[in-house]
Amino acid sequence: MDFAWDVEQDTFRSTVRAFLAAHLPSDWEALAHGPGTELQSKFSKKFCGELAKAGLMVPHWPSRWGGRDADPWTAFILAEEMWEAGEPRGGQYMNVNWIGPTLMRFGSEEQQARYIPPMARGETIWCQGFSEPEAGSDLASLRTRAEKLDSTYRINGQKIWTSYAGHADTCFLLARTSPGKGGISIFLVPMDTPGIIVRQIPSLIGEGDIHEVFFDNVAVPHSALLGAEGQAWEIARTALSLERVGIPRFALATRMLHRAVKTLKKTNRFGLGAIEQAGKARAACEAARFYSYSIIDQRRHGVTAGPEASAARFATVMAERLVSEFVVEHVPEALSGGDSMLLAHHQRGIVAGIASGAAEIQLNLIATDFLKLPREPR
Amino acid sequence: MDFRLTPDQDSLISAIDKLAEQFANKPTDFHGFALQGDDLDRELEEGSYFDIAQIPELGPLSAAMAVERLARLPFTAEIALSMLVRPHLSGEWPRPIAVVENGRPGRFVASAKTILVIDGDSIGIVQPPPDALEPVESLFAYPMGKLKTITKTTRLSDAEAANVRKWLRIALAAEASGLLQAAIASTIEHISLRKQFGRPLGTFQALRHRMAECAVLAGGVKWLALKAAGTADDGDAALAALHAQESATRVIYDVHQMLAAMGMTLEHPLHLWTYRLKALLSELGGRGGQATAVAEHCFAE
Repeated sequence: MDFAWDVEQDTFRSTVRAFLAAHLPSDWEALAHGPGTELQSKFSKKFCGELAKAGLMVPHWPSRWGGRDADPWTAFILAEEMWEAGEPRGGQYMNVNWIGPTLMRFGSEEQQARYIPPMARGETIWCQGFSEPEAGSDLASLRTRAEKLDSTYRINGQKIWTSYAGHADTCFLLARTSPGKGGISIFLVPMDTPGIIVRQIPSLIGEGDIHEVFFDNVAVPHSALLGAEGQAWEIARTALSLERVGIPRFALATRMLHRAVKTLKKTNRFGLGAIEQAGKARAACEAARFYSYSIIDQRRHGVTAGPEASAARFATVMAERLVSEFVVEHVPEALSGGDSMLLAHHQRGIVAGIASGAAEIQLNLIATDFLKLPREPR
Repeated sequence: MDFRLTPDQDSLISAIDKLAEQFANKPTDFHGFALQGDDLDRELEEGSYFDIAQIPELGPLSAAMAVERLARLPFTAEIALSMLVRPHLSGEWPRPIAVVENGRPGRFVASAKTILVIDGDSIGIVQPPPDALEPVESLFAYPMGKLKTITKTTRLSDAEAANVRKWLRIALAAEASGLLQAAIASTIEHISLRKQFGRPLGTFQALRHRMAECAVLAGGVKWLALKAAGTADDGDAALAALHAQESATRVIYDVHQMLAAMGMTLEHPLHLWTYRLKALLSELGGRGGQATAVAEHCFAE
């Protein structure tokens, strides 16, 4: 067991930091507020293009798809540095973390050729059409329907809480092709297909982040189906296992905690109460970091993480919460125009325990799969 | 970063687990507070396990792993300080080692051959004459004792005191990690079997979620303790001890709630872990003390 970074990992982190220093504009902190805004979406496309040219968009992808077969640590160091900087890749982090790898595993040759290269070049934004008004944590009850016709699937239904939908080029869409849990399929749907209507939902998270997406007789070719009909559960499980530790929220939380402490010190407000709370939050961030690292270490050694990934996710949610509460209590001016980065962090933190599967679902998984408690009756 | 055990660590853990097997259960006729593992202590001594940290192939990280595993046992012995703190004392100091903090009773003090005396910011060290020591009746599930008379101590230099304090924090975190895991495992066993309203308690979501949260906290304590032992960094040590004490306050309450009246009995072993954890809560200044250390080492800029 070794807790030190090796030279290659240190060098890679320095390379990413140097890239960020050279490519983030001086007003980035103001821009970082609101990941779904017009301004940031535009910036993120430009930034991702430059990232790709520097070989830093998808280093962990196979060389066939524009990567260099780097190991999972490289991917995670990249993710840490990006998230810590305020995620200048915008919604494209999803392509890198799980949409691309999922298409590599389950996509047809045609789908791979069409969708993967633009992701590797940093040119495209995806959205995730999972949640519906009646299907949140209970995803299996989704109602959006894809009816198979002679040459097309006809899609009708509604998605909600869809991040980045306002700027997305393609939707990774879950729709029902037959009744029951095994009747859900995945479609790759261009967002400019006639019949798709996107409405932004004003939210606490910031402008342009979450949306309703309506599908009204949307016709897509049979080739838009990912994998086989009814394979959604298997594919989504793979995708979610990548996503569960996909966002190193602890990295930005740690940075923001330090920033808040610095503000308090400067203004002689870092008293005993704040010291104790800051310490606890810092410890929680570090615990979340090493939980996540343990999952990456498993990946590095070819092991697919089990319930430990849920524990890592929950530890991250707790850390994010402690930092957020610390800022609200001790640096409240941050939420009133005092610090755009602390505000951006707070807004992103709101979804920490909700997006990618509610934290309580993770607790269920931990109870059943890790603690081996008897299952709840259904 | 590489979290796989080295072959040496793997062998060590196997050997520790094998040695621990015979001490895995509380004797059914024991209904006391501190279940002292004199035989455990002797076997560890005979196997030279207290010197793990000084063996280059193993080092303090492996010692922390050993402390963490042995702390899961219902039997207790002075292990953590001997394995993790003693190697950092200049000169030869016999074990068992105990800490007397600001004049209060401490763990293993009555049988200690070496005592670290913490008085505010300074730390002194002494080999106490046996008549200076006295056992103390206590709820804490360690053998507690006190210094009857303040004997003259040798004051550690500031640098040595800081280093000792750091390793005391790491020892505390490693010990707490094992205790937390044992308390949780014992509780899981209970709520998997105990039925109310016609079904095991462990099927009720209100309890499942609390236990899952406890498990996440305990896992975090383990990672931070091992990391601190691996890096020997002052900030890491403070974070590990703080997370251990903070998590323990939450977990102790929850596991006792789950075991209800059964957890109050001395027949059930739960108190052997939870009341050891309670003893650790106040050490080294408690959470406020660790947080101050975190502020000093992690928020220095």
